Amino acid sequence: MSFEELEHTADARFRIRAASLGELYSEAARALMDVMYGRPGEDGQEREIEVDAHDPESLVFAFLSEVLFISEVEGFVVSRADVTVSDTKAKGILHGEPFSPERHGGGRGVKGISFSDLSLRREDDSYILDVIFDV
Amino acid sequence: MLPGIQSLGPCEWEVPLGYVPGMRVPGVFYLSPRLAGTLEEGAVRQLANVATMPGIVKRSLAMPDIHWGYGFPIGGVAAFAFEGGVISPGGVGFDINCGVRLLSTPLEEKDITNRRELAERLYREIPTGVGGKSSLRLSGKDLDSVLVEGASWAVRQGFGRAEDTEFCEERGCMEGADPAAVSEKARARGIPQSGTLGSGNHFLEVQVVREIYDEAAASTFGLVPGQVCIMIHCGSRGLGHQVCTDHLRVLEAATKRYGISLPDRQLACAPLDSPEGRAYFGAMAASANYAWANRQVIMHRTRKVMEELYRVPQKEMRLVYDVAHNVAKIEEHLVDGKRLRLCVHRKGATRAFGPGSPGIPASYSRVGQPVIIPGSMGTPSFVLHGTQTAMEKTFGSTCHGAGRVMSRTQAKRRITGREIRESLGKAGIVVRAPNDASLADEAPDVYKPSAEVVRVVHEVGLSRLVARLEPLAVIKG
Repeated sequence: MSFEELEHTADARFRIRAASLGELYSEAARALMDVMYGRPGEDGQEREIEVDAHDPESLVFAFLSEVLFISEVEGFVVSRADVTVSDTKAKGILHGEPFSPERHGGGRGVKGISFSDLSLRREDDSYILDVIFDV
Repeated sequence: MLPGIQSLGPCEWEVPLGYVPGMRVPGVFYLSPRLAGTLEEGAVRQLANVATMPGIVKRSLAMPDIHWGYGFPIGGVAAFAFEGGVISPGGVGFDINCGVRLLSTPLEEKDITNRRELAERLYREIPTGVGGKSSLRLSGKDLDSVLVEGASWAVRQGFGRAEDTEFCEERGCMEGADPAAVSEKARARGIPQSGTLGSGNHFLEVQVVREIYDEAAASTFGLVPGQVCIMIHCGSRGLGHQVCTDHLRVLEAATKRYGISLPDRQLACAPLDSPEGRAYFGAMAASANYAWANRQVIMHRTRKVMEELYRVPQKEMRLVYDVAHNVAKIEEHLVDGKRLRLCVHRKGATRAFGPGSPGIPASYSRVGQPVIIPGSMGTPSFVLHGTQTAMEKTFGSTCHGAGRVMSRTQAKRRITGREIRESLGKAGIVVRAPNDASLADEAPDVYKPSAEVVRVVHEVGLSRLVARLEPLAVIKG
């Protein structure tokens, strides 16, 4: 599993690959942290997360929007997600640590997750997500 | 120019019907030959996608700072019929009422001998950057007042002067705000961030008026050469971002129900008179008001620092104007000889109402509305005025800034934050930011040259140049 930043003039565009949807969600959350704080967090604390939506793309939109919300409001830097994903629901635990300006000051605020060019597909044995974070 | 695009005249281009399937009107954008090389096919496709939306009037427009965004292109303008038209969060953006205000002072450049100390004081007084927390302690009830009253809430709390609101677009308060349409989540993000600058391209700059292009208009706006001014660029922070996210989810699900088919899900929209459309409008207007209160609080703190450091009485520091550049508003425009009520979306575009238009301060009425165009870090900013041409061609709209040309990934490979700080320092510009990393993706050359962007709108006549301002000190989030 991995995430890589693709070219985009205005915003942060990522391609994320993983063997399972659960891993894909976890990597997508780490990519988001990479933009917001310059690095993902370390394990230590946990937060519950649960979102639902009407199709797979809107579910990943809802999940990442919720990660952004929890992170910003609670000052929580996510290290990974341990979630079960169905077609319309994602539920599980976010692992991470409290925000510290010294360690997590190297990023920039993310305003939201974009539906533009959001794509979730399966190729061979992996899931691939393209997503844009508005910065 | 890219294939499939037709020239309509100098700096004016048409994206014809059929460029993407389902276009109801053509697209038009404004760009000089020099900027044509920066145009992305993705941005043109987005401009054409907007032309497929129900109720769009006349044409889908983009200003010379057009670039690839999400939903609408950045620099996009579209008007929808009040009856039969739609409203879309993708035509406003996540940062609702991101905008700019300009504060004038009686100081001259030579009075600012201690730029570093000034930058440090402003940085200390105004919370910035990721995790920057507000010193306001808003209750839920206070927040409701902010959402309904906008800048005048801030004035009532002692942040600024009563006459300030006169010099804000919409007098700093949009009608139709509905706090009930702002979710608990949006409130939770908004309360600790009120009065904070944020990060990304948001800034506070101490500037000097370096050149005047139109003396009569400059004098009307109270600007003279050599004068020190302060520019504040920020928006509705997490509150507006969450409002966009929440309503995007609702509208994305509702679009199908209203039988609307769209080429991009970020264009999710609903009829203006539907429950979903009305709820988004009410929440968006509330977010716009939050942003006006925000800029008012930040300006007040700036005035206090200037008063303490330079003994300038607060009343001698006048708000020149405050513009919104991410918003949808109900306005009346003359279209093919008929006066129509429209919902004008401006996403990375500035209202530029011409002389005599309603809704601009009486003292500016003969000149037109001031248009404030922020530069990118280290590059000039401009003041222009609105025109009759803008009223006729672009629903009274013009550009909002420089427009990016380079991605974050490219920017980071090319130059470090430290190098930027040093090169600005050599030019005498002091930069204060939480860390050097945040400077790298805002390097001056990741944007189109702001002078060229404003030259295009000046030459096409969408607004006319009044003054150029250059930075002395920059506070970055």
